[in-house]
Amino acid sequence: MSTVPEAGMERSACSVANEGVIELCSVRAGETTFGVPIMRILEILGAPAIQPVPLAPSYIGGLVHYRGEVLTAVSLRNLLAMPRYTGASDILVFEGPGGYFGLLVDAVGEVMTVMTGAVEANPSTLDDRRKALFAGACKLKDGLLVMLDPDRFDPVRLSHQSNWEG
Amino acid sequence: MGIEQMAPSSLLAFLPITVMMDELTREFLIESQEGLDRMERRLTELEERPRDGELLAEIFRSVHTIKGTTGFLGFSRLESLSHAGENLLGMLRDGKLVANAAIISALLALLDGLRAILTSIETDGSEGKSDGLNDDRAIIERLLDLQNGNLDSQHALAAAQAGCSDADRQPENPAKTPATAVDSTLRVDVHLLNRMMNLVGELVLTRNQILQATSADAGFTLLSRRLDMVTADMREAVMKARMQPVSHVFSKFPRLVRDLAQQLGKRVRLEMEGQETELDKSLLEAIKDPLTHAVRNSIDHGIEEPGARQEAGKPTEGLLKLRAYQDGSHVVVEVVDDGDGIRVEKVRDKAMERRLITPEKAAHLSERELLQLIFLPGFSTAAAVTNVSGRGVGMDVVRNNVEKIGGKVEIESRASKGTTLRLRIPLTLAIIPALIVRSRCQSFALPQGVLHELVHLSAEQTRSQIEWLEHAPLYRLRGRLLPLVFLERMLEQQEVAEEDAGCYIAVLNADGRRFGLVVNGLADPEEIVVKPLSPVLKKIGLFSGATVMGNGEMALILDPGALAVRASIGISNEEEKPQVAEEALRPDKSETEFLLVETGAEQAALRLGDVLRIERIPRARMERIGRTLVLRFEGTVLPLEDPSGILERQPEEGVEITVVVCRGGGRHVGIAVSNVLDVAAGAPLVEAGTEVIATGITLLKERVTSVVDLSRIPPLPAMEPENAIEAAFEVAV
Repeated sequence: MSTVPEAGMERSACSVANEGVIELCSVRAGETTFGVPIMRILEILGAPAIQPVPLAPSYIGGLVHYRGEVLTAVSLRNLLAMPRYTGASDILVFEGPGGYFGLLVDAVGEVMTVMTGAVEANPSTLDDRRKALFAGACKLKDGLLVMLDPDRFDPVRLSHQSNWEG
Repeated sequence: MGIEQMAPSSLLAFLPITVMMDELTREFLIESQEGLDRMERRLTELEERPRDGELLAEIFRSVHTIKGTTGFLGFSRLESLSHAGENLLGMLRDGKLVANAAIISALLALLDGLRAILTSIETDGSEGKSDGLNDDRAIIERLLDLQNGNLDSQHALAAAQAGCSDADRQPENPAKTPATAVDSTLRVDVHLLNRMMNLVGELVLTRNQILQATSADAGFTLLSRRLDMVTADMREAVMKARMQPVSHVFSKFPRLVRDLAQQLGKRVRLEMEGQETELDKSLLEAIKDPLTHAVRNSIDHGIEEPGARQEAGKPTEGLLKLRAYQDGSHVVVEVVDDGDGIRVEKVRDKAMERRLITPEKAAHLSERELLQLIFLPGFSTAAAVTNVSGRGVGMDVVRNNVEKIGGKVEIESRASKGTTLRLRIPLTLAIIPALIVRSRCQSFALPQGVLHELVHLSAEQTRSQIEWLEHAPLYRLRGRLLPLVFLERMLEQQEVAEEDAGCYIAVLNADGRRFGLVVNGLADPEEIVVKPLSPVLKKIGLFSGATVMGNGEMALILDPGALAVRASIGISNEEEKPQVAEEALRPDKSETEFLLVETGAEQAALRLGDVLRIERIPRARMERIGRTLVLRFEGTVLPLEDPSGILERQPEEGVEITVVVCRGGGRHVGIAVSNVLDVAAGAPLVEAGTEVIATGITLLKERVTSVVDLSRIPPLPAMEPENAIEAAFEVAV
């Protein structure tokens, strides 16, 4: 798992065209702050109306209306088995091989530029579920940022791994 | 909210993700495929007019174009095949050979060979290998043999060369005419059209929100009205862009019919009507398979062998008719044959044998109802085809495919006269009428096609009238037990229940499974645009899609068939309709139900209990005997009443006229109407000052409407037996 974060970063690094630097968008779920490569985000939907889907796997946050399409949103909180969030959530829109999908987070923070050297692989002490979802840790001046690779949140891909239930 | 707009990355969404094969090859593939489609049509025409020079020139051109471009692109298999075909075609065109069945068959084989290679190029970019299935050499030799049939090889070569050389000059003239049509059209990727459709949907929603937000401001109102109009026009235009004539699907049938007929040793003439009728591209795709199936069935099981036809006093050549026409918001596609028809007894026996129906029930079913049994899943197996004289293979599949796109399948058959299969397709896909139901504060869309009726129960009634047999909830609907499915339980909804305000039972009939779906509330019916679900959610199995409603809210679309299966609702073969009829016939009912019809400019009412069926009948079957109008109907004659002179106004033989067949005064009569409007309950009217209930009029939908007095219709000089039409008894509602 430890090699994957590099792959994710390479892509962002190339598109920024300035080697060694990645632009991240920080998002929050629960107490944790995460970093998502900006180049992968198609759009951010602020507090959209989310339609729950009965009988769906627990990691599905619901459906969102996005540019005339019905977008399936994955809930970051549910994936990490965090308690339910009652406030208005934001959704990051990504494009995967199977089409658009969304990632439901508590709130979107700011854009920041970090050096690729500041990113380290997942610590071995993380539980398996987090190890599989996180793409490494980014050392900031005032704390740590969990790196996320959008590809790992594609609902189609998640559905092939049954251990996300519950 | 650091970033709202991400211009560069959102642009990515518009670029194709996968690397496409180079433009030139793609263009070539599309062009060649179109050329081959054209060639296929022309080849079958050539069979009838083997000396038609124009036809030959066109076929020659299709092959020649492929040959010319392939050499350039370096596809050697295509080149050698098309070269061989071109030689033969050149001789045909120059009149050195005359096309016969063998030549046409060989050219069709060539066509298939070329097509297979094109498909291969499309999938993996290479021509593939010549093998047992696609043996190039066999095709080339066959073509060569035919070429040499009349001439020795040297001549053939010279002729072929001559053919090649003047091919470059000669076709220019005939090619001029179609070129103009090509100039004014443009090829557009379907994905782009789909995207435009989505965006228009988005525009409509945004417009709705703007209309709401600006309703207070007079200045804005004017502007937003304009936006409203432009949006509506735009939507229509995009929808129109997706329309294609049905000829795109029909065009492959001449070949199919020819091949099948030859294979089965039958003679079949194909007639096609209404090819210009337009249908949404994706709908057209969806009916391709069901139609092919129907045509195969007609030739395989419907149309008899020439000998048998002669014995039955029919022309040896069978007639297969494909007809398409628009009927209101639907397009109707018919497959009509004049074959042997479906033997109802055999269908019944088969259904009993397969335990799809009990003998008692079978005895009560009308001929028409029995015919419907062929659509039951399980009726159709390979054995059923040959044992039952009629069709049956995969008829349930045909029906399912058509119903999936919101259409309907009807079948009519007369023994030894022929069979008509009718597909009724909505004009545009993706938009289906649906009832919005609510369960635990969440909206769901229920396709209206399966909905039979709605029952409302108050909170009190919910407690008293829903009965339980162990764990199975039931409701007595007109004295019969209806199994119930609670939507909120089925979906295991966790949300807080709404306050106990009663419930609604939606009585559904999904693929023959009849049940009541219990929901908390109803919203207005809506025309919804179906959006596909992600595979993860499709796996749940109960939802067929999702939709965005007019108010911007989203709703999941319920799949009634899947709900029934999950609730283990069995298939009930009994139709509920006869019972409705009985109720309507009950004499002591103070409010009788009426069929409201339009005759000319007036409205009139017919007692629903008297109505046997409603039919569209060709004008040609209506005649005048003395002063009485009569109608030939299922081998019988019945008097026809035409209160508003519809027949006089439409004398052409081809038109179809709506006729309501009624039972009145101990016989059957037909009434010509211009429109069937509705079924409504009428209230008795009492003439002022008397206590007498007026007989000739009733209060229907707040309008005083005259009731047609059936007994006043003059009888025929000689009456047919009473039960002539009884056999086909059906109440049309």
